[in-house]
Amino acid sequence: MKKRVLVVDDDPKHLLTTRDLLELSGYEVAVHNTPFRTTEIVQTWKPDLVLLDVNMPGLAGDRLCGLVRANGNSRNVLIMLHSSNDEESLRESARHFAADGYICKGDIAGLRRKVAAALGC
Amino acid sequence: MKDTIRDAPRAGELICSREAISPMMRVDTVVDQLFRKQQKETLALVEHRQVHGLAMRNKVFSILFRRFGFELFGRDPIIAVAERNPLIVDEKQPLEAVLDLAMQRPLADIYDEIVVVDGNGHYQGLLSVKGMILAQGNVLANSVVQQELALTKAREMKKISEIKSQFIAHVTHELRSPTNAIIGLAELLRLSPEGKLTPEMEKQLALLSASAVNLRAIITNILDLSKIEAGRMEVRSESFDLITLLDEVAETTRVLLAGRPVAVRVVTAMSELLLDSDMIKVRQILLNLTSNAAKFTEEGEILLRVTEERGAVLIGVTDTGIGIRDTDLEKLFVAFTQLEDAQTRKHEGTGLGLTITRQLVHLLEGTIAVHSHFGQGTTFEVRIPRQSGEREKRL
Repeated sequence: MKKRVLVVDDDPKHLLTTRDLLELSGYEVAVHNTPFRTTEIVQTWKPDLVLLDVNMPGLAGDRLCGLVRANGNSRNVLIMLHSSNDEESLRESARHFAADGYICKGDIAGLRRKVAAALGC
Repeated sequence: MKDTIRDAPRAGELICSREAISPMMRVDTVVDQLFRKQQKETLALVEHRQVHGLAMRNKVFSILFRRFGFELFGRDPIIAVAERNPLIVDEKQPLEAVLDLAMQRPLADIYDEIVVVDGNGHYQGLLSVKGMILAQGNVLANSVVQQELALTKAREMKKISEIKSQFIAHVTHELRSPTNAIIGLAELLRLSPEGKLTPEMEKQLALLSASAVNLRAIITNILDLSKIEAGRMEVRSESFDLITLLDEVAETTRVLLAGRPVAVRVVTAMSELLLDSDMIKVRQILLNLTSNAAKFTEEGEILLRVTEERGAVLIGVTDTGIGIRDTDLEKLFVAFTQLEDAQTRKHEGTGLGLTITRQLVHLLEGTIAVHSHFGQGTTFEVRIPRQSGEREKRL
């Protein structure tokens, strides 16, 4: 069975690019363009990995990380921050909000490598 | 601060009178000068440039206008009724020290004029204590105002610098977002099903990717320079495998070459080499070096060589590019400097890469060296400690 990746990003260009890149790598991908209702989708669609953009209107992705995990059923879902922020601040956010890692947008090799490593493929 | 706060004046600069009379002048003549014609406060008694005493109006007055005073002393030399041991200071003494000395005198003498002499003990003039107190007040007021101005200025500069840093952080994020989209979209095009792209389109796509990846690196360098300038560059250590990182850097370097016939290889006997350092900074150091190599190498190879040393790793980045003239080597690490003239140069760049690289190497407590043969190629050698403590460090 294909591993499932949920991509949450308010920017449609990044949402579609990431979806296409991951689908070409053989994952099943769902996209969501707002932080709201993310916890619900995580519960119902049950992804193996969630990629969260950081700068989103309404709720920053790094904070969303904690909210997704707060739900008992989703406590163990893998979450990685996926953002255009500079890498050092992204690394700090990932630590601070206890994400499972971070991926810099634009680092396509990194996207493939880190997703594969996280999902054990 | 040194430029704005004026030093306190010295005794020589505050002299209020340079007049002198002979100690042998008759008392009645001096009285004329002190009381009747010229209304002088004090006259110095000087002979052969040596000071013998002071004739002060109030003191002479109290002697002469006692009973029979004038009759007794009127025809004597003035030295007979003068102050014989006035306070004498060197002209180079600072105002504050002179005031201290003046104030140590008996209460009745505190306002007596002070004699200023030069290094040879020759009479230069008189200081009035009242004048000095006024001058002292001015210096104090002046320095308080100057300090306040300097502080306000420093606060403004700090604020401007913070605004600048925030602006650069914001702008670089805004630039990075579309750049990353371009990189992703170019990659998707490259992955189009076979046959859909002509060889010409593939070449163009490689250039498009290389340009976008290069732009991304420039943006990172600009933000880093701003962090370094603001003293906000922190070191975060983590354990990582240097060989994996080198493979990653080699991969990005190949994108930057956009199909030029240059092989990029990692040369090492090790399959893994764990480093306890700041991975982001190590990667940026290496990427800055390989992207330079890629920029200046038309054909041949770029080698990433890694060896272990006691407590450190040595990473060499060697290219078969245009090389650097000996005379140009010292200009290499200067910010915004390019060896080629900006108008006519063939190779583009901000001139920031190597400056930042060196700063980052130093931040990791490492060293960087360069060897080059003009026309044959260049090797940059970076030595980084295997362990670097986690700390906040200001450059």
